[in-house]
Amino acid sequence: MSRGHIPSFTWANIFHLCTILCMLITPAVMVKHENFKTCEQSGFCKRNRAYADTALSTSNWNSPYTLDPASIKFNKGVLTGTVLKKLATSDENVRLPLTITFHEAGTARVTVDEERRQKGDIELRHDSKARKERYNEAEKWAIVGGTAVSTGAALSKDADQGTTRVLFGQGSKFEAIVRHAPFGIDFKREGETQIQFNDRGLMNFEHWRAKVEKPEVAAAEGSEENQTEDTAVKTDSGEDESTWWEESFGGNTDSKPRGPEAVALDINFPGYGHVYGAAEHTGPLSLKETRGGDGKYSEPYRLYNSDVFEYELDSPMTLYGSIPFVQAHKKDSSVGVFWLNAAETWIDITKSTSTANPLSLGIGNKVTTQTHWFSESGLLDAFVFLGPTPQDVIGSYAELTGFTELPQHFAIAYHQCRWNYVTDEDVKDVDRKFDKHRIPYDVIWLDIEYTDGKKYFTWDPMNFPDPIGMQKQLDQRERKLVGIIDPHIKNEGGYSIVDEMKSKDLAVKNKEGTIFEGWCWPGSSHWIDCFSPKGREWWKSLFRYDKFKGAAKNMFIWNDMNEPSVFNGPETTMPKDNLHYDNWEHRDVHNINGMTFHQATHDALLARDKDEDKHNVRPFVLTRAFFSGSQRLGAMWTGDNQASWGHLEASIPMLLSMGISGYPFAGADVGGFFGNPDKELLTRWYQAGAFYPFMRAHAHIDTRRREPYLAGEPYTQIIAQAIRLRYSLLPAWYTAFHEASTTGAPILRPNYYVHPGDEKGFAIDDQFYLGSYGLLAKPVTKEGEKGQEMYLADKEKYYDYFDYWMYEGPSTVKVAADLDTIPFLMRGGHIIPRRDRPRRSSGLMKFDPLTLVVVLGNSGDAEGTLYLDDGESFDYKDGAYIHRRFHYQGSTSTLMSEDLGVSGKRTKEYLKTMEKVRVEKIVVVGAPDAWRGKTEVEVSEEQGGKSSAARQVELEYHEREAGKAAWAVVRDPGVQVGAGWKIAF
Amino acid sequence: MRVEEALVCLSCVVGGALAANAPRPRGVSLDFAKYYKDTTTFSCISNPAIQLPFARVNDDYCDCPDGSDEPGTSACAHLSPLSPPSPAGAAANVALALPGFYCKNKGHIPAYLPFTNVNDGICDYELCCDGSEEWAGVGGVKCEDRCKEIGKEWKKHDEARQKSLGIAARKRKELVTEAARIRQEVQDRVQTLKTEIEGTELKVKQLEAEVKDVERRERGKVVKTAPGQKGGKMSVLVGLAKSRMAELHQSLTRVRRERDDYSSRLQELENLLMIFKAEYNPNFNDEGVKRAVRAWEEYAARDKEPLVNVAADIDLDEILKSDKDSGLDWDEYEGGEDSETDALYTFENYLPPSIRSWLDQKLRDLRIRLIEAGFLADNSGASTESKALSDARAQLEKAQQDLENHREDLETRNEELASKDFGPDDVFRALKGTCVSTDSGEYTYEVCFLQQTTQKPKKGGGHTNMGNFVRLETIDVDEELPANGKGLGSGRRLVMRHEGGQHCWNGPDRSSSVILACAEENEIWKIMEEEKCVYRLEVGTPAVCDEGGSGSGRANDASAKDEL
Repeated sequence: MSRGHIPSFTWANIFHLCTILCMLITPAVMVKHENFKTCEQSGFCKRNRAYADTALSTSNWNSPYTLDPASIKFNKGVLTGTVLKKLATSDENVRLPLTITFHEAGTARVTVDEERRQKGDIELRHDSKARKERYNEAEKWAIVGGTAVSTGAALSKDADQGTTRVLFGQGSKFEAIVRHAPFGIDFKREGETQIQFNDRGLMNFEHWRAKVEKPEVAAAEGSEENQTEDTAVKTDSGEDESTWWEESFGGNTDSKPRGPEAVALDINFPGYGHVYGAAEHTGPLSLKETRGGDGKYSEPYRLYNSDVFEYELDSPMTLYGSIPFVQAHKKDSSVGVFWLNAAETWIDITKSTSTANPLSLGIGNKVTTQTHWFSESGLLDAFVFLGPTPQDVIGSYAELTGFTELPQHFAIAYHQCRWNYVTDEDVKDVDRKFDKHRIPYDVIWLDIEYTDGKKYFTWDPMNFPDPIGMQKQLDQRERKLVGIIDPHIKNEGGYSIVDEMKSKDLAVKNKEGTIFEGWCWPGSSHWIDCFSPKGREWWKSLFRYDKFKGAAKNMFIWNDMNEPSVFNGPETTMPKDNLHYDNWEHRDVHNINGMTFHQATHDALLARDKDEDKHNVRPFVLTRAFFSGSQRLGAMWTGDNQASWGHLEASIPMLLSMGISGYPFAGADVGGFFGNPDKELLTRWYQAGAFYPFMRAHAHIDTRRREPYLAGEPYTQIIAQAIRLRYSLLPAWYTAFHEASTTGAPILRPNYYVHPGDEKGFAIDDQFYLGSYGLLAKPVTKEGEKGQEMYLADKEKYYDYFDYWMYEGPSTVKVAADLDTIPFLMRGGHIIPRRDRPRRSSGLMKFDPLTLVVVLGNSGDAEGTLYLDDGESFDYKDGAYIHRRFHYQGSTSTLMSEDLGVSGKRTKEYLKTMEKVRVEKIVVVGAPDAWRGKTEVEVSEEQGGKSSAARQVELEYHEREAGKAAWAVVRDPGVQVGAGWKIAF
Repeated sequence: MRVEEALVCLSCVVGGALAANAPRPRGVSLDFAKYYKDTTTFSCISNPAIQLPFARVNDDYCDCPDGSDEPGTSACAHLSPLSPPSPAGAAANVALALPGFYCKNKGHIPAYLPFTNVNDGICDYELCCDGSEEWAGVGGVKCEDRCKEIGKEWKKHDEARQKSLGIAARKRKELVTEAARIRQEVQDRVQTLKTEIEGTELKVKQLEAEVKDVERRERGKVVKTAPGQKGGKMSVLVGLAKSRMAELHQSLTRVRRERDDYSSRLQELENLLMIFKAEYNPNFNDEGVKRAVRAWEEYAARDKEPLVNVAADIDLDEILKSDKDSGLDWDEYEGGEDSETDALYTFENYLPPSIRSWLDQKLRDLRIRLIEAGFLADNSGASTESKALSDARAQLEKAQQDLENHREDLETRNEELASKDFGPDDVFRALKGTCVSTDSGEYTYEVCFLQQTTQKPKKGGGHTNMGNFVRLETIDVDEELPANGKGLGSGRRLVMRHEGGQHCWNGPDRSSSVILACAEENEIWKIMEEEKCVYRLEVGTPAVCDEGGSGSGRANDASAKDEL
């Protein structure tokens, strides 16, 4: 509210006075560390680090957890048993039911619960209404498939003494060795240990216990903040009890009615030197060690979805979303672990180097990556993926948590956003200007100011008097509008949405069980509780066209602030003792909260069109907060970045990290949200942004306008080229999205993913491949840079995308990169589909012909795929799509188009609409010398299942010259994109 | 192309249709028809060495490096500096040889459409009213010929526009005349001023002499008395005391008013801050706001004296009552001042009046001579002056002030005449201070020519200065012209720059550019906040019209159509 676009006279006055009142303030563009907890300030984090320190510094440390051998049962791929936790102070053991599930897909899941809490046999403090069980519904939100229990998994008879051995996975090449005392599990692949649970004995399961009131503790209760070692209270067992009960931070006190209840486990990856994932953080793709030292972090990676203002780079600090999934990688082997827990989670990472195994001959040191996970509450629930390829791991994870929904075609084109386009006329004006400057764009966005006083589902009557007219103008060029809808609902009398939400009792509650009130953009607000099925149903109803007046069919939604961001809450979010549907504490579900809202909006958009007129288009919802599974619901972006070179640079590893975390539909604000980028930075950012799976320019309300056409020459022209490059490659992008939507494969692929055997490339995170196309980009992210060193991992030819300059791997090559150039190479062996005709929006390219670029490398063969559909509906599920594989065979010099599709009831109808869409041009890069003098190729098409008579089509051959490859062009082969054909060169 | 050319073209089409019998390929205008005459071979326009079979013209494949073989398709639309570079493009001339797809638009004005828009499934009626660019029926689209209705509509609008332009041009003439009259007025005034200055200079000289004379005479008086006063020491004292009291009274009133002013302003500010504190967004994000609120809380918590001490204020009320109300009657003291004792010593009073004045005169002359000779001290200057002297001085001062004013006036007017920019023909002289306003969103915006721009909230509250006029500039604009003609169009436009407006929260001082285009009335068409607190206003005014009613002062419809 204070940032209204045209501050009134009164506000200006206040500002003057404020200036006087706080003259000594120097605004610093920097994260406010004091607003976020360090590990030391987070009770359970501190306790678990201390636990680890004790364990690791104690010789003969004995983990107090044992698996009762008598309790072990194995039935149909599920092993159950009871883990006993031995207490120092009593003879009684805490009983922790264990389930190890082996899935058909080759994954294993280890779940540990607490018996007493399962039975509800505990007492809550402060008369709390919270549930007594440990939160066991995370899977309801995160897991959607891949849980078919393995029929082949079996107990092995030849287990060592004191262990239980289970063989599982395809061909039983995986095994789990469950050690009884102390409890631990080794996961092996083909006899080699890949992952170890509790090998270092850091497992910690904080069981429920009643608070023993002691005078000194009671006294300390009032002033919990900053309890130091001095006031720390040790229990009889020697445990530090100071952080067990109420905890305060930043003026907020967490009542913690269940006391301490963290779960922790150490997970080792023996022999693995790199771990990736644990998104979302700003650091390098290959995660750093976190226990101090040169070039290492001293804080653990934190996962606690937060609205971090002006976040810093190269930091393990938490950000807006959490994916508690890591992959470890070593030469030719990838494995992974998914820690399914929605509570605040921290991960410590260390690497230990052991000298070479004396039995192995002359092999160097072996690095083991040790991870230590701890979550504040909930189950200990971990999934194990044994690879061996990066895609195996990511694919299995994605099968569990869901694939990215194939987006509408517009969603992968260019988005123009700003906080804010201030009036409907402003929007229309920007829309016209893009056309006028011949720069394509598909979507224009409205930030919070379009609403009437930050009341979602309303329009500012002064500034947006005619939203429908505005959307109509956009629709004339098949463009879309995205409007923001956040989860905070303004607490204002007479606002029907809040009135309904209150009367239907659908809001998040505070610890007393009454409606929670906090502050966000609108001021005093309540929060929709999307954990509630009724809440989601209601939310769905709000998007109906008759309810959300002024929204047209080409309007889609942006969900922001769904961490949730609560301006006056602890760490800018909700108090952990807030209560959600079914009385789950916010603590238990925090990291999922954003996803439930995203899900509700996604489903609402589905319902909107289905209810209305069976319109049945795919939803588009952008989210800021996310969790494992959010990828099913739409795009994410990396939040409020800054217009600085550092943020541009950081965006690439961040997006790579999202890609390998099963969430490929990711982007960073092009241009940087805060601050004004200079023109070079803006231009370079567009060149990088052209490779973001989600490409959106965005800017803060206090920044100068920076639509591409305002940059002036030569910048505008260079930016236009970058955007047009994106558009011409949209067939490749769309195909890559299709692949992601069916296999979970990342769209931007880091070097290790593409070349899993190339150890030198495992840490590379500033260059990437686009889809399966061998397109290798390394956008310039440094000021004044005129060239890029590009790493070519394999023995293969690479060609400059724009001028066919030839490079040969393996090597590091220098690629020139003046401001107007993007370092962008094509790897030999691929076929890239393009649509080269520039249009005003991607919707207008639907029926344009395609160009195929055949890139010949060392093998002389090449292949690539193309997926096309109507770009908006779900008809593809009924076969309304084209999916082709193009294959060039060097030995026979033929290029063929094969069908990868499966016919459905709408196939024929769709192919009919695409009948006239042809391949207009085939460019062969690295054309063989033998073609010199060749002027014709022979084209034959499949017609009615038969090959037509061959016809001759012109071939134009270009000699190689000065470092550039020879290339040839097949002139207008005229073959249908949707049909089979063959071209003989 | 400008409208003239376009109109010429229109006639060309008509004439051409009669003359040429070979149909031109799709998308070719008459201007380029000559390149497509040979129906067997086609030579690329910019690269005639490249020859193609004529069948390759408009075969939806781009053969010519300049795109000239595809005048009627989008096959060469990618040939543009805006497209990513390609090996083919790098070597050859990437500039398109043709301005676009030519829409004949029979019944309306022909136009070129960007090739990117050909066969994209959208009927681009703004440029191609005949729908001819969607000839392939992409995605089932059919664009019927709407030139008849669009042309008719356009014509109607055009006539109205032309008429309006005519009126506008006349108005401008009037404005120029008015400006000239004002200028003449200024010049006249300059003449008058010069004369007045001369006169005043003379007067000043005379008065200076007079003051000297009076001074000389005054020195002779022992005790000066104001005429009409019976005179005496007491009287002087009372006079002094009275005027001193009056002065104090005045000052106190002023100080009190100021205090009330300040305290009400303080109150207002505290109220603002109170509201600020209650309603501010406690977004931790904004450290500045937070600190301000904290500082305010501390400030508010401090024990403060009430702004106005009521008791003391009552005292003040007492003090400020008129003297009579307070029982002090100056007249009593002034009236009965001639005390008998005093009179005893004034022996002159006992003499007959004629002798008295003679003696008096003599004594004065003597006294003056003695003072001038240095025998007696001059006791006149130090204290108060006689009425005669102060009158003389006052007259002199006034004359000097007049002279100063005249000179300043003259200077500014001369400067204004010589160097201040009132735009072409001095036309804005006639508009200076004229204000126009319009509603937009929650505000009313006002532009006062050559003065300032202002934003006024409709809901009430203070006005915001969006900048004070600093200078006239020109910029090039290129905008679409709406049917009603109320828009900037394209070409060079005059801009009134306003700077140094009210400072903006988290931003700069407000500034605004008022871009002017020809219109019948002074009116604001459009307001945009281009970036934070930088405003752009589009304003119509007859002041920038051309005499002829079109041309550089505004765009015309056809030029907007033809821009490519």
